[in-house]
Amino acid sequence: MLLSTPTLAQPLSEESGQIGFYGFNDEIPEVLTTTRLRQPKTRVPGTTTVIDGAMIRDLGIMSLAEIFRLVPGMVVGDVGSGTPVTTYHGTVHYEQRRMQVLVDGRTAHRATLSDMDWQTMPVPLELIERIEVSRGPNSAAYGINAFLGTINIITRNPADTAGTEIRVVGGSRDYHRTFASVGDVSDSYDWRLAFEKRKFGGFDYQLDDDEEPIPFNSGHDINVFNYDSRLKVNSGFNADIRLGVVDGINEEDFFKDGELGATDNPDIDVRDYYLQTQLNFTTSRTHFFHVQVNFENFNRRQRWPIEVPESVVNCLIIGADVFDEANNCFQAGGTPLTANVNSDSEDSRLEFEFQDTLLFSDELKLVTGLGYRKDTFRSETFFNGRGTSYQSRVFGNLEYTPIDWLTLNGGGNWERTTTTDEGYFSPRFAANFTLGNNHALRFVYSKAVRTPDSFEQNPEYGYTLRDIAPAQYALLEGYRVESPLDTRAGTLEEENIISREISYFGQFPLDQGQFSLEVRVFKDKMRDMISGIIGFQDWTIDNNVDIDQKGFEVEAALDYPGTTFRVSYGYLDQDDWYNGPEISNNETTNYKEKKYKVALLGRLSARHSGSIVLIQNLPFGLKGSTAFYWADQLKESRFERLDLRLAKSFLQPRYTAEFAVTVQHYMNTDPDVSIDNNIEDQNQLFLEAGIRF
Amino acid sequence: MLLARDGMTENAVLFWKLAKATLLRAVLIAVVVVGSVSAQTGGIERSPVYLAVSGNVALDQHIHDLLQQSFHKHWDLISVSGEQAALIEDAPVITIGPGAFSRVRQANRKVPVLAMLTTRDFLEGFASRSPGQISGVYFDVPLLRQALIGKTILPHASRIALIATTASAELYDSLIDELPQYGLEAQLFIVKEDKQLIPTLVRALSYGDFLLAAPDNAIYNPRTIKHVLLTAYRRNRIVIGPSQAYVKAGSIAAGYAPFPVMTEMAAEYLQEFFETGTFPEPDYPPSFNIAINQQVARSLNIPLAPKEQIVKSVELQIENKGVQIDE
Repeated sequence: MLLSTPTLAQPLSEESGQIGFYGFNDEIPEVLTTTRLRQPKTRVPGTTTVIDGAMIRDLGIMSLAEIFRLVPGMVVGDVGSGTPVTTYHGTVHYEQRRMQVLVDGRTAHRATLSDMDWQTMPVPLELIERIEVSRGPNSAAYGINAFLGTINIITRNPADTAGTEIRVVGGSRDYHRTFASVGDVSDSYDWRLAFEKRKFGGFDYQLDDDEEPIPFNSGHDINVFNYDSRLKVNSGFNADIRLGVVDGINEEDFFKDGELGATDNPDIDVRDYYLQTQLNFTTSRTHFFHVQVNFENFNRRQRWPIEVPESVVNCLIIGADVFDEANNCFQAGGTPLTANVNSDSEDSRLEFEFQDTLLFSDELKLVTGLGYRKDTFRSETFFNGRGTSYQSRVFGNLEYTPIDWLTLNGGGNWERTTTTDEGYFSPRFAANFTLGNNHALRFVYSKAVRTPDSFEQNPEYGYTLRDIAPAQYALLEGYRVESPLDTRAGTLEEENIISREISYFGQFPLDQGQFSLEVRVFKDKMRDMISGIIGFQDWTIDNNVDIDQKGFEVEAALDYPGTTFRVSYGYLDQDDWYNGPEISNNETTNYKEKKYKVALLGRLSARHSGSIVLIQNLPFGLKGSTAFYWADQLKESRFERLDLRLAKSFLQPRYTAEFAVTVQHYMNTDPDVSIDNNIEDQNQLFLEAGIRF
Repeated sequence: MLLARDGMTENAVLFWKLAKATLLRAVLIAVVVVGSVSAQTGGIERSPVYLAVSGNVALDQHIHDLLQQSFHKHWDLISVSGEQAALIEDAPVITIGPGAFSRVRQANRKVPVLAMLTTRDFLEGFASRSPGQISGVYFDVPLLRQALIGKTILPHASRIALIATTASAELYDSLIDELPQYGLEAQLFIVKEDKQLIPTLVRALSYGDFLLAAPDNAIYNPRTIKHVLLTAYRRNRIVIGPSQAYVKAGSIAAGYAPFPVMTEMAAEYLQEFFETGTFPEPDYPPSFNIAINQQVARSLNIPLAPKEQIVKSVELQIENKGVQIDE
């Protein structure tokens, strides 16, 4: 039986009667969130990387997205105005829409633009308990966005952060981060209030058309407030209540993001908030369920001034397409028009989830659930008003261990979305052959879909001119300049992936240490991938690329007393081709355009990527760490960085203090991902001081 | 009845008290006399050994039966209550648990006592004040062994987190000195008030590879253990000790002394008492077993060797002073 306790050689003293077994009620952390069942790595149907919060802090990682350099097969880069992006197995660039990202079970990506904004995530690094990355399609458990995998960020339970913590970090490129949290525990209520300020200057410079360095407005100044609490009503029921506010400025450079001839930087004013409650019921040791309801609001104000020549005004007045070169709308001279435009948007997401876990025995476990999501989007620019989309789904996973060396998992998710008005089923099957508790060989087959988001599917893209000057153009006040969208091929369909995985996980107890190894070999078929440009002047997305990919990934860790050595490596071989309609009658143009669209999905596909980490306890309360990250990406560019950190702890009876210095050494001077991502000094220095009491 | 009692005169109350005391005395004399007589039946004169019980019937019976087996009919085992111990002269009393020990000591300061199911922390002071007269078989397992169990389960561990109150800090004194020769170090985090338990635990878990829990009721008790275990789990840290009951609750492992080993040791102590008139110094039983929570180990992805192998590895490490044996 699952919950049988060890056979005891003798009767227990009177204390045993008063102590319940706390291992398996709803409060224990999920060891793996891959299937939503709590499973050891030997039984989980897929490969999952777990990055511990302590490792993140020991390595001196300075931002959330950087963490994913530790995950085999994942790459991290900056696009646009220093906007961090990360992906598993490429295929995305500006918009990161093929991985499901959850924070404490709450969907974290923006609902309608289906994008991740890592800079404004309400997750201070100090509050990360761990991050679980399920590598490979995971729609069977988390729905249609979990196309390439899932990222599950689990923050620290408020019961674990009782007391006060303050940490200040400052360093190169005006990096500044202040974190403070205060909290308490009691028999009935645990709570934590946390604040984080993150400020960063971004890249040092970009290049103008003559490849001369000019300032690059690519930093951010974000404030995050979180309140996390748990109300413990009785042993069978508790409620998690969380709320958070994100406020600040995300800098955008007008060379990168200002449409219609911006004359100033179109910085984004961020005003997000969320409310989340999860009611956890534990009816017995073998049955528990939760109901989760959360509401998130992403409010972005992005406004900038423009100046266009008089010729454009004339085109607008006669209703000509200003971007059609044939209309010759951009000519110098005359009285220019100035106005303000915006890319304001407000997305709201209401999410409901019910999840039920039944542990029939140690050999048979079942998790089932229902989900419902309503996304509301309001944007004059992107949607010319407001709209809604709905998703509803049913999911489940059965784990069955018929004999002690074999565990079978079967799971699936059926989901219906109004963006395509269709329903989709994403299954996963796996057989894990286990040897003892320490070794497992897994065979996994999974299918997943990704449906286009509301903006991809139903854009009504246009900028409204306001505050027009001079007065002679007053009749254009409130005029909406529409995107031509003339190359749109019609309604988009879902993308599909079929993934096959063979993986091995093993733990080898050693004299004085432990070695663990996880190897994943995969072969994926991705069909009808949406590629093309999403832009005001150029809108060419369509289901037009197929990709076959294969490769292998390794994650190994060696733990010795006071020493942790960890290696991750990913090899990716993508074979991709165009399968959409012909683009041009000109054969050369046709070829180039097809090649371009295929290449768009390969911009963050790194053939080799990985990390090497060493964390070492040193005498005198010192702890040293070194990490080397590398990735071959963007075809020619290569990212290589060596991080060194030295920390000194003072363990006092009433408090623990820590001081640390971190150096990031960029191994080469070439900018990463974009020629504009320039850092003047190859060595970046950061100092931090923290206290906990 | 209540009214009648309330209405009793002072004399009547005194009378009842006197009668009760007399009756109790008569019963005690009868028990001791019967005990002595029964010890002489069967043609062989056997010395009596009294057993002061804990009140936990199943536990008392189990210990009683094991002691009987260990005595090999050399002595007669007679169960008595704490008050009855007042009348015992010369014959040794075995006590089960700290409660029975205290009751016997309160009733009779002269009687030789062999304490069972008490921890070293509890008994050491009494034994050192009355050497030879007060002794015992420690119930707990030496903290060093518990620490080495942790080290065997988690071979890469090098730092042990310890939590104590200012009053209980000395529990760990000798352990902290012993650990370096086994390639381990420990840091003691002091909890000055109840409210500081979890904040202190959080700091301790940041330091240690695992948490070692001694039998310290101020820190580890039924009220706190849930918070301690769950906080440790969430930080992916294991808890070792303090006893089997806590392993059942969710601690990953604890060494414990098996009852048959303790009763055998008690029999050896009695043998020496009857030969020399004094008990040897109290000590831990010569061997121990280990209780393991496989479910917790699986959940935390910790591979576990068989219990016997862990025990053997710990014994070998102690023999070899720190050289861990890879099984």
